[in-house]
Amino acid sequence: MPNVASTSAAAIHILGVRHHGPGSARSVRDALAAIEPSIVLIEGPPDADAMIPFVAHAEMTPPVALLVYRPETPRDSIYYPFAEFSPEWQAMTYALGRGISARFMDLPVAYQLGRDEGDGPPEVETDPTEPTPPRRPVDPLGMLAQAAGFDDGERWWEFVVEWRRDGADLFAEILEAMAEVRLAAPPQDDPRELLREAHMRQTIREARKEGHASIAVICGAWHAPALAETAWPPARDDSNLLKGLPKTKVAATWVPWTYGRLSRDSGYGAGIASPGWYDHLWTAPDHVVERWLTRVARLLREERLDASSASVIEAVRLADALATMRGRPLADLSDLDEAVRTVLCFGEETPMRLIRRKLVVGERLGRVPEETPSVPLQQDLQRLQKRLRLAPDPAQTTKVLDLREPTDLERSRLLHRLDLLGVAWGRVAHVSGKGTFKEAWQLQWVPELSVSLIEASLWGATVEDAATARAADRGGREEDLPELTALLDRAILADLPAAVSAIMARVESLAAVAADVTQLMDALPPLANLLRYGSVRKTDASLVGHAASGMVARVCVGLPLACGSLDDAAASAMFESIVRADSAIRIMDDASGLSSWHAALARLADSDTAHGLIAGRAARILLDSRELDEAEASRLMGLAVSTASEPTRAAAWVEGFLRGGGEVLYHDDALFGLFDSWLAGLPADAFPGLLPMLRRTFSTFEPPLRRNLGEKASRSSSAGSRSPLKTNSIVDIDAERAATVLPLVARLLGLGGGMES
Amino acid sequence: MSRARSGAIAPQTVSNDDGADAASAVLRRHAEEQFAEELEALAKDDSRPRPPRWRLSPWAVTTYLLGGTLADGTPITPKYIGNRRLMEVAVATLATDRALLLLGVPGTAKSWVSEHIAAAIASDSTMLVQGTAGTSEEAIRYGWNYALLLAEGPSAKALVPSPMMRAMKEGKIARVEELTRIPADVQDTLITILSEKTLPIPELNGEVQAAKGFNLIATANNRDRGVNELSSALKRRFNTVVLPTPETAEEEVEIVRLRVESMGRALAIPSEPPGLEEIRRVVTVFRELRDGQTSDGKVKVKQPTGTMSTAEAISVVNQGLSLAAHFGDGVMRSADMASGLIGAVVKDPVQDRVVWLEYLETVVKERDGWKDLYRACREVV
Repeated sequence: MPNVASTSAAAIHILGVRHHGPGSARSVRDALAAIEPSIVLIEGPPDADAMIPFVAHAEMTPPVALLVYRPETPRDSIYYPFAEFSPEWQAMTYALGRGISARFMDLPVAYQLGRDEGDGPPEVETDPTEPTPPRRPVDPLGMLAQAAGFDDGERWWEFVVEWRRDGADLFAEILEAMAEVRLAAPPQDDPRELLREAHMRQTIREARKEGHASIAVICGAWHAPALAETAWPPARDDSNLLKGLPKTKVAATWVPWTYGRLSRDSGYGAGIASPGWYDHLWTAPDHVVERWLTRVARLLREERLDASSASVIEAVRLADALATMRGRPLADLSDLDEAVRTVLCFGEETPMRLIRRKLVVGERLGRVPEETPSVPLQQDLQRLQKRLRLAPDPAQTTKVLDLREPTDLERSRLLHRLDLLGVAWGRVAHVSGKGTFKEAWQLQWVPELSVSLIEASLWGATVEDAATARAADRGGREEDLPELTALLDRAILADLPAAVSAIMARVESLAAVAADVTQLMDALPPLANLLRYGSVRKTDASLVGHAASGMVARVCVGLPLACGSLDDAAASAMFESIVRADSAIRIMDDASGLSSWHAALARLADSDTAHGLIAGRAARILLDSRELDEAEASRLMGLAVSTASEPTRAAAWVEGFLRGGGEVLYHDDALFGLFDSWLAGLPADAFPGLLPMLRRTFSTFEPPLRRNLGEKASRSSSAGSRSPLKTNSIVDIDAERAATVLPLVARLLGLGGGMES
Repeated sequence: MSRARSGAIAPQTVSNDDGADAASAVLRRHAEEQFAEELEALAKDDSRPRPPRWRLSPWAVTTYLLGGTLADGTPITPKYIGNRRLMEVAVATLATDRALLLLGVPGTAKSWVSEHIAAAIASDSTMLVQGTAGTSEEAIRYGWNYALLLAEGPSAKALVPSPMMRAMKEGKIARVEELTRIPADVQDTLITILSEKTLPIPELNGEVQAAKGFNLIATANNRDRGVNELSSALKRRFNTVVLPTPETAEEEVEIVRLRVESMGRALAIPSEPPGLEEIRRVVTVFRELRDGQTSDGKVKVKQPTGTMSTAEAISVVNQGLSLAAHFGDGVMRSADMASGLIGAVVKDPVQDRVVWLEYLETVVKERDGWKDLYRACREVV
């Protein structure tokens, strides 16, 4: 028992640790086994004392986090995450295993959340113009490690423990070292820090008063000197300090956590950068370097990258050599990373990212038992369900929402938000009838949704917050522009302004470098929809408008180049993109964007290099929007379909011009007239050459439509008003010769029975 | 395969060791000659353990590369400005008896680093095989003195050793430049050398076994991956270190300044050393175009097709200096840099020109104190 920092006969053992440090965890476990305390006090929120027994539950799988929040405003909350290798977790496990009491001793969150409201003592304001005073180090033991030449506090800890062999005086030495560090960087008069330490001391005093003979205290190393009994101020001082603090009502529960989110700031200060590596340090019984590099090699092999055992051997050698060169007795993560990059990854960055994601950080997701009190997200949803009279029903129901009604609008937002959170309660169904103010949902509440709700609770405490965080996170990682704008669409439907602006910023930066015009064009329709429905949805249109017009400008610049030298398949895809982009740009109500779009199309229509399909469609779009008069359109058509042009391109042009528009040809007299007169104006010897190509296009039309077209042609010719075009370009029609053509046209159009195969 | 090509004898490096006069008259001296004093001082100061036949310990080699001041006050100039860890990895690789492959886009000091490492470890950077599409197996293994071969038949005397073979015999560092330009079948000659550490000579029924201290540094350009991609068997035998473009603007300014100064001295350009401000502007332009965004991270810019390497930045400044010296008043101004900048940026006359104009209009024009550069560039574009 003398092997631990016992500060007096009362046997208070101060174990200063690194939060989430596997080395600390191991040392704490050993120290506790040696001390056999009767109570364990842990730096953590006392508000959550009742949650400690859950740690021993069979279904409890770290990483998990203690969530302490205000029930009225769940947004005010603090997370305390734990991994298997957290010393605090090990201390709780030890206490529960021995049946001794374990208690948290930090300043209750009830006080802290109260303070944030502003009626408590004011926070230390920092003037941004003044140099910030040295803040308390986030990881003071890490500083010691760095001074010893380690980049990684954990490897240093391991080294120190191993080097000592007995690892026992360790905590006493940490106490001493930290006392020195605190002297060198005196704790700021941060009232919060003072309060916290005062409360910790008070908790220790209380435990002693209760008659505990041996008390183990697990705290961040930084606090250790302040908790050592020799440094205690009179008890009165501490209680005075803590007197009269504003207090709010808080609740606590466990939520599942992930290794990825262990790196976030939390109630334990800064997160850790490499949870997966710490997990490895905790679980690997020996040969840490060899086992790690073997895991790396196996991961690479799973991804079908070469990683032979010989390379692993070389990587181990290099890691050791690097550590030696850097004066470290043990290789740490930076040495291993460099060895892996150099030997196993051939200097490439991509596999390193994979290793980082899968091994160094890790993808483990924790689980909490079902008996855990419900998470605020669940409560928030229940509240919303009650308020919006939208009860969860296990049977499938359909709900049609009228978005002009405030309640229905809110319902729609809730469902869209849940959808973003991966809680698929409802599915947007097809709504019959016209108008954009209706939205139909198919709702069905299946039990699995409760599970996804708990999983989603790691994103936030309210549906709105969680959906915002989730959407912003997804947006930040999305590389594909159309996907991103689709996400934006959903975020706007869900009315999440913060997420929308985050995604919007991402859209703008992706759009700025997007080399692929098709991508930009495909990203436009959702934006256009937003601009159009913005008024119904009451969302900020100007935000979207700005990005959209920027994208239109980029599309217009890049389009003519992007349409050069396309093969048929690519041209077909581009055709679709152009059609979609055109309708998007037309509904966007952006005059300058529309005119530059038309200018870009005009260049396409006039271009020899653009694929026929696209040039034809460009001409058609311009004609439809009256940017091109009929004479000009007819000239373009003549140019494209003249005998000099390659037949396939001519066919493609006509197809592009007419595709999907057979009906239009029938109903639009102007278009019909244009086509008819062009056909009629063809020189006799050119006509036969063009026939196959014309047939190719017309054969895509339905037979009844072809018959109708033919009838229309015969009607208009018999009426003599065949063409609305001025016929001054076609002088001296030789009626006789023209008549010889007519049967052919009639046959072609299906008039002569339309039976030719 | 290509072994029948007569006369394909490895280029023999003519050493300048013979006289100090000869050395000072050459255009560019070898690293081990230029920095002989530093190497001497380092060797004297170095008490750490050295791998067999290394002139310096790995620590001292790293110091030689990264610069510093020795215990006796001798200053060591930095040869490589950048990430210390990379140099440590490179040196540790050689210390663990693995071959080193330096990868990087053009102009990231690959050959420079390889020369200096060889100079520091073996005090001989001349065991060099230059990789080209025409590099034959003889250039890596050995060739024959055909007259002797015909007269006397195969004999050790008739054998013409390659730099590789000599490095193996003498336990020195061999260097292969532009490894990926060498045809794949010739590259594979290296596999035996690297794994067995011997070079068989079937004609003499013998072999050359590498002496302790032998190792290989190869450089390759990762822009032309796929020219002659290394076989996986060969790749596996190298530790690969990728040399990046400089991390911070200050680092890059320092590199350009040091190199321009030392080259200016060597080329005897009669102009004032360039102002730090001008260098910073050139470096800023290079970095922004290379990174695809402005240095404040606020504006995205399109990237040109060229690599925009530091080496090119150095030559832009050098060119500006000599323009100023020979056609101006000896002080480098923005007009002197403009044409060099355009030459460096616009490698593709269509696409890069658009990139450059966009950059000029959206970034250079708006920036405080850059008006002169904008005007100068607009004039020549």
